[in-house]
Amino acid sequence: MSEGARLWSRRQGLGGLLVCALGAAGRVQAQAPAITLDWSALYRPFTGAVKPTAARVSLITPRLADNGFSVAMSVRIDSPMTAADHVQRVVLLSNRNPRPVIADFDLGPWSGKAEIATRVRLNGSQEVMALAQTSDGRWWQGTAEVEVTESACMDAS
Amino acid sequence: MTMSTNTRLSRRAFVLSSAAAGTGLALGFHFPAAAQSASGDTPEANAWVVVQTDETCIVRVARAEMGQGTHTGLAQLVAEELDCDWSRVKVQMVSPGQNLARKRVWRDMSTGGSRGIRSSQDYMRQGGAAARTVLLQAAANQWGVAVSEVTVSKGVITHTGSGRKLSYGKVASAAAKLTPPDPKTLVLRDPRQWKIAGKPLKRVDTALKVMGKQNYAIDTRLPGMVYAAIQASPVFGGKLVSFDAAKLRGRKGIQGIYKVDDNAVAVVADNWWRAKMALLDLPIVWNEGANGQESSATIDARLKEGLTSTSNVFADTDIGNAPQAIDGAAKRVEAVYSTPFVSHACMEPMNCTALVTDYRAEVWVASQNAEASMAALSTASGLSLDKCEVYNHTLGGGFGRRGGTQDFVRQATLLAKQMKGVPVKMVWSREEDMAQDYFRPIGLCKLEAGLDEKGNLLGLQLRVSGQSINAYQSPQNIKDGKDVRQLQGYAAEPGDAQIGYTVPHLRTEYAMRNTHVPVGAWRGVNTNQNGLYLECFMEEVAAAAGRDPLEFRRALMQKHPKHLAVLNAAADKAGWGKPLPAGVHRGIAQFMGYGSYTAAVAEVSVKGDEVKVHRLVLSTNCGHAVNPDQIAAQVEGSVAYAFDTLQSQSTVANGRMVNTNFDSYPIARLRQLPRIETVIAPTFDFWGGVGEPTICVVAPAILNAIFAATGKPMRNLPLKNHGLRIV
Amino acid sequence: MLARIQLSSPVQRGQPMEVRLLVQHPMETGFRFDVLGTAIPKNVVHSLHATYGGRTVFRVRLGTGVAANPYFQFWVMPEQSGDLLLQWQDDQGQKGEVSARVDVIQA
Repeated sequence: MSEGARLWSRRQGLGGLLVCALGAAGRVQAQAPAITLDWSALYRPFTGAVKPTAARVSLITPRLADNGFSVAMSVRIDSPMTAADHVQRVVLLSNRNPRPVIADFDLGPWSGKAEIATRVRLNGSQEVMALAQTSDGRWWQGTAEVEVTESACMDAS
Repeated sequence: MTMSTNTRLSRRAFVLSSAAAGTGLALGFHFPAAAQSASGDTPEANAWVVVQTDETCIVRVARAEMGQGTHTGLAQLVAEELDCDWSRVKVQMVSPGQNLARKRVWRDMSTGGSRGIRSSQDYMRQGGAAARTVLLQAAANQWGVAVSEVTVSKGVITHTGSGRKLSYGKVASAAAKLTPPDPKTLVLRDPRQWKIAGKPLKRVDTALKVMGKQNYAIDTRLPGMVYAAIQASPVFGGKLVSFDAAKLRGRKGIQGIYKVDDNAVAVVADNWWRAKMALLDLPIVWNEGANGQESSATIDARLKEGLTSTSNVFADTDIGNAPQAIDGAAKRVEAVYSTPFVSHACMEPMNCTALVTDYRAEVWVASQNAEASMAALSTASGLSLDKCEVYNHTLGGGFGRRGGTQDFVRQATLLAKQMKGVPVKMVWSREEDMAQDYFRPIGLCKLEAGLDEKGNLLGLQLRVSGQSINAYQSPQNIKDGKDVRQLQGYAAEPGDAQIGYTVPHLRTEYAMRNTHVPVGAWRGVNTNQNGLYLECFMEEVAAAAGRDPLEFRRALMQKHPKHLAVLNAAADKAGWGKPLPAGVHRGIAQFMGYGSYTAAVAEVSVKGDEVKVHRLVLSTNCGHAVNPDQIAAQVEGSVAYAFDTLQSQSTVANGRMVNTNFDSYPIARLRQLPRIETVIAPTFDFWGGVGEPTICVVAPAILNAIFAATGKPMRNLPLKNHGLRIV
Repeated sequence: MLARIQLSSPVQRGQPMEVRLLVQHPMETGFRFDVLGTAIPKNVVHSLHATYGGRTVFRVRLGTGVAANPYFQFWVMPEQSGDLLLQWQDDQGQKGEVSARVDVIQA
């Protein structure tokens, strides 16, 4: 999904609010490799002993991202979002970031749709997971692979 | 260097032929790597191999070719497994759009870290073996025989029973329909039996380059194309405030002046010279910010503080008690070495041609990672990846400048977005290229050694105080505040860059001291300055111990057999110990990087302020040698690149780079380069890199020879700081 | 701290409305270093929530993995016209809030 495909472009809608937060933003290059963590260790704090079911959750992100400082990501969960059957929690996890929990959302039947979009930081090429908990307590997951191209090691040091 | 007969084309003939080479090639250059081959006559055997009916064997590669010979080497590996006729092999570079559309079947396209061959060799060789398997099966099917009765050599299949023969081209279509074999069943050829790989075959692109027919990104010509000269804020981090377009009103050929991003301005014209000259005359106002106050003096002061500071410093290797051992030693040696910022100085300056519409975005570029280019194109154009494509080219120099950073793609795209439907060729002037680099980081190193009465090394301690590449690019990869990457080559444990010495008391430290100057990977990265610091200091320590530099090192390397083997190989080939002509002196160095072991011996004479390097012997163990000629060529190239560092530096004044062309940043000249001899000593038990390892031993070997000649250690590159120059 | 809310329009009762938020904040990770090699302290917006019609309709706990200038797009089922109030807080205790008027067309 690209910014350009949206109904409103970020620039048009939200003006010039963006701060140049990091001196290096937009000029990111090679990174040293990070360790890839095991998913079961990452979702366990949320799901307990239960393995989340790989269904209902679509995690959409560009296959290639030029820098890891801002990668568009959206989650869509198949759910009627009624009082009896809705998504109540969504967690975005990374298997290579220094802090694996990216964001942790609360939703409810008032949400109408189980869809969230945001921009994340990714420490190099990796897999990202969206965990979703429905109102019956069950956990679901969807993953996506992202190649962060400017992190491709330009040297092995 | 071999003296060649001086055949010179007349300038007119050269210009005409290169123009002809440029026209039309840009359009026809890229073959679609879809299931059909270029001529469309046969489908692919698999993603890696297409055999055509005329017996042409197309090998597809994903990595970039930047003179390091990776395309040839990879093709040799595939051709070896395929067992085809090497003279029929053609190399086809795949595009990132195709890679993405086929779910990254060609995997990683990034080319750097001396990994081009060693990271692709397994799956590409399997691709060749799998193609051979289906071709043989197709022939067996056609003959109605068991595939075990069928053999192949140089693309000709023979049925051992009847002697019937079929060439690959005849069964290519049938082979494409067969189920690919399970990779686990494929047996790859033993490198010791290689017939194509491992041989010093001619590169696939040498003839093109010699005849001036090689197409580079900077040669791109498209119908309706316009040219752009660009300048970004000379002070790093500065912003564009305004420019006075009125001053260019009425200038011939100028089509527009555009703001690019928030820190650059471009002039677009009907030819590049006009654009560049207009840009020089354009009044521009920059907001320099605080960085405008930075200079080499402010930077040096900060680095110097780091050499003795107790804050923001950590020890990586700490064996025994080096400070104590050195303090109590019979003899102490101490030195501070400095290395400046250096520039990539690619012969082909940064450039990119971009064409953006509402529905598609394309760039013609030289990139070490075409997927990175495409990602940058997507972000800058605002179009999704499936609407983008990158046409990569052979690079006129990469060296780490054209990899992760795709600033030139971003700029060209942001500019082209402002004139949709018009191809814009953006070329950086040499000044812009040298001012807007990602430099090799500046550093100082304080080294101390302690010797016992017999001249044995008891303790060694070093502290690097310098800029961190990780801190600039990816600070999140610095664990616990310890940036070990800046101590590349000093690791005590085996790995990609292990120190070659056993010292009873050894301590290595790094003090991170940063600057506002953008830094990045420069061929060899931190092995360059780290190799210099250690190997030049070791020569000083050997001299203080009254011992021969080679013998002094050998005594410390008994537990590092591979490091020792390349050191001995270089020394043997150089005839270390044999008499030299009067005035000629030797220097030696050894260092490990990118998984390979390297060493060098230099023969140098110094007369007044003139330094002449007569001979360089380099040795390398890169594990497997795919093309020995190409390895030698890479070694020679690394010598030329290292020669830049002997005579040039990038200094800072008023927040900006001062040395922005070859008058103030001299690079190696042909007449300066010595006779270069390469000893390749592969042990076949690992895969090490070739592009980068040898560069780090060149400068220290030469500096050590100068030390032998003059008695003065060369601690502050470039050599002009010591009143010397290379001739 | 500046922020903006954008709502899809028109807003009809019974049809989810799209809400987009942008908060201006550097989301300092704590991994960066200054020129002297000193780590720059972590400071991120750690929590953010939106209330509307008397209840919290969106809540997120953020970490350093959220990009600078946190941006979120989510959906809310509109009921009565009223204010959508966005509030957030960062590690340094700085708070911010902004609101947008939701005008619901009763279909």
